[in-house]
Amino acid sequence: MNDRRSFLKRLISNPDFSRLLILILMFALTAVLQRNFFSGRSIVRNIDSFTPLILMTMGQAVVIISGGLDLSVGTALSLMTCVLTSVMKEGVPITGLYALIAAFAVAMAIGMVNGIGIGYLRIPPVIVTFATSFIWLGIALFLRPTPGGETVDWFQAFYRIRNIETAPAVLKAFGETVPPSLILVLIGFLIWWVVSRTRTGRYIYAVGGNSQSAYETGINTAWVQMKACMINSAFIFLAALFFVGQNRSGDARMGDPLTLKAIAAAVVGGIALTGGRGSLYYALIGALIFSFVSKIIFFANIPNAYQTFFGGLIVIIAIAASQLYTLSSRRAGRESKLT
Amino acid sequence: MTVLEASGIRKHFGGVVALDGANLTCRQGRITGLLGANGSGKSTMSKIITGVYSADAGEIRYNGKAVRYRSPTEAKRDGIAMVFQNLSLVADLTVWQNIVLGAEQARGLFLDNKAAIQRSREIVDQLLPGLDVRRMVHELNPGEMQIVETAKAISEEPRLLILDEPTAALEQAQVKSLFQTMRKLVKKGVAIVFTSHRLWEVMEICDDVVIFRNGRNVADLDFSKDVKDPEAIVSHITGEAGKVKLERARRVEQTEVVLRVSNLNYGGRIRDVSFELKRGEILGIGGLAGQGQHELMLALAGNYSGVSGDFELNGKKIKLNRPANAIRNSILLVPGDRQLEGLFLGHSVLTNLIFPKLGLKSQPLFTPESRYRRESGKIVDVLSIVTPNLDMPVNALSGGNQQKVVVGKWLTFDTNVLLLADPAKGVDVGAKRDLYEYITSEVSKNKMSVILYASDNEELIEHCDRLLIMYEGQIVATLVGEEINDDAIVATSMRVR
Repeated sequence: MNDRRSFLKRLISNPDFSRLLILILMFALTAVLQRNFFSGRSIVRNIDSFTPLILMTMGQAVVIISGGLDLSVGTALSLMTCVLTSVMKEGVPITGLYALIAAFAVAMAIGMVNGIGIGYLRIPPVIVTFATSFIWLGIALFLRPTPGGETVDWFQAFYRIRNIETAPAVLKAFGETVPPSLILVLIGFLIWWVVSRTRTGRYIYAVGGNSQSAYETGINTAWVQMKACMINSAFIFLAALFFVGQNRSGDARMGDPLTLKAIAAAVVGGIALTGGRGSLYYALIGALIFSFVSKIIFFANIPNAYQTFFGGLIVIIAIAASQLYTLSSRRAGRESKLT
Repeated sequence: MTVLEASGIRKHFGGVVALDGANLTCRQGRITGLLGANGSGKSTMSKIITGVYSADAGEIRYNGKAVRYRSPTEAKRDGIAMVFQNLSLVADLTVWQNIVLGAEQARGLFLDNKAAIQRSREIVDQLLPGLDVRRMVHELNPGEMQIVETAKAISEEPRLLILDEPTAALEQAQVKSLFQTMRKLVKKGVAIVFTSHRLWEVMEICDDVVIFRNGRNVADLDFSKDVKDPEAIVSHITGEAGKVKLERARRVEQTEVVLRVSNLNYGGRIRDVSFELKRGEILGIGGLAGQGQHELMLALAGNYSGVSGDFELNGKKIKLNRPANAIRNSILLVPGDRQLEGLFLGHSVLTNLIFPKLGLKSQPLFTPESRYRRESGKIVDVLSIVTPNLDMPVNALSGGNQQKVVVGKWLTFDTNVLLLADPAKGVDVGAKRDLYEYITSEVSKNKMSVILYASDNEELIEHCDRLLIMYEGQIVATLVGEEINDDAIVATSMRVR
């Protein structure tokens, strides 16, 4: 179609290219600093440790693209882990299924409540979700005042299949090559791949881009925003499965730090907080950059006390760099148009 | 055959009567031109038909049935499509995504994008051959956006199409292809309502013309029977009231140039504007709404960093690329939207009055509260601002008094040039008189100069020594002294003369 040079040119002039560059840089730095980076074991470990943020960022991204913002994702995650571990009874495998159903119902309810507030009651999203975050926390603390709870053995399938004693050898081997966390992320992408090819996906962008126009075109904007919140909940649900599989317990406070991390990662990935712009691939890039940053800080032997400080600094530099890059490439584009 | 018949439509917004028993009839296969000055009720009528507003009184019959739509969606379902003046596209979607928005066809589970692109391309090619439907809307220029907007309405295959100033952002060639498309639609039996401020367009395309003034019908013309007389239409639009000569002593023409602007350009919205402002002069800026007047005022106040052009104040070159530059040179703006640009609404009269001073270098470290109170008290007296005390939040004042506060905040400055952007908008008659009385007296006393933009022609006629008419970002006519009258303003604004 096009010769290679024009493809390269288009790639470089694409503002998203800067984020890809940053990601590659972070990847390279991590690879240098972390010994055995390319060994099978550390690859699986890395994917495991990145998965929750990736899923949470993807969910948050859907809400941001639809013109909202969700401050309740952290406590929603905690609540789901508490529901899962409260329903399950150790040694009774069938309770795992009940737990899945119950937690998914809770996830959808969470999305609906946020969606009603944002879409139908038209309360500013930050306010609604800030308030609901305390409701989720309250229920989670009621279910599980202290971390703990019971899980069924097979629930580890969401983390390490080989830890399940009764699992067949084939499955165990499969779990070692394709970690369950990766499958969860792929399920997340599959959900979005389907949604983005339906009306709902198109309308999420339209409502986030210009909700007035969308409304005048006959789109039920409130319903679209509610669906965006429910898709977000589905992503949080996937993250909850991973957490419970990994820790075999529920914790009412474990999700708190993820709320703002997911928002920041989405922004780093290039999802506009004003809505209507970005895609879930950006969310993946943002979450990966963010995760690599914490890896780098960890392996660079920076004293504990400074880790948070440098983490924030690197994130700001990443955002500023891509902003500058966008500006300068846009300016270059304008000038080349003139001449 | 009559497709739509709206009769006796009334609508008021607060105390303002927008429509006062207006009628509109549209017939199959005909283009009805809807004319009238700004605020005559054209847009309100269109919006009532399509269900954006509901009428206070009156009846709308569509295909013989009485209808009363509650939303544009309901109207659309019945085959009434409207292109709004304010663009309603989603900037972050592509052209074709916008055209099919809300009417997406699915094949199985997924959307049928191929068919949608194909369909959009067919419609867009009629209107603007060569526009790639896969481009993002935010990359388009205003003319192209307008065309996409029209394409979106056409794609709904309406039986009644309401085009509210669809040509405002278009170039001549684009207008021609829009007209061709309109003729094609009319041949298929579509009824079209067309509004435009450009008379030649109305002359060329319309079969019938309805003229509104102050919310009432003043003329219903059928071009197949009646003669096409542009001058008659202009006088219908302005009305007899405009003919009454307003008495006013024009000031003796001054020769000393205060501000010289040459070749001012800003992003296509101000194009090659050059003029001189003389000492002790009130220079008016007029023309149809949205022809770059607002941008010109903001540019002179230093709001745009990207302006090009030369500015000379009292013979000295100055830069006007930041508001601080303009203020330092005593070029002061009273913005058009006082609530948005001119005031801190929730704050006290005092805060608003002293605020511009706080940015000046010569301020002491601690705000001299009592001195400012004294000075502000004086301003309140001079402008006769009606407020119980200085600590009243400004949003508790009436519109007229709010506007006085906006003017008042500049009073302690030595003003070279005062920029007034629609200062009497939403201000009652008494306050309006006070305001202009004060400005006129300051102009003759202090020898400051004023640039006045007003959407109301009467204000311009009453107060200006000279008047520049803007059209599509350019100055197309200069009226001096006795030449400033309603007929001349309307005619030059619409480019009849």
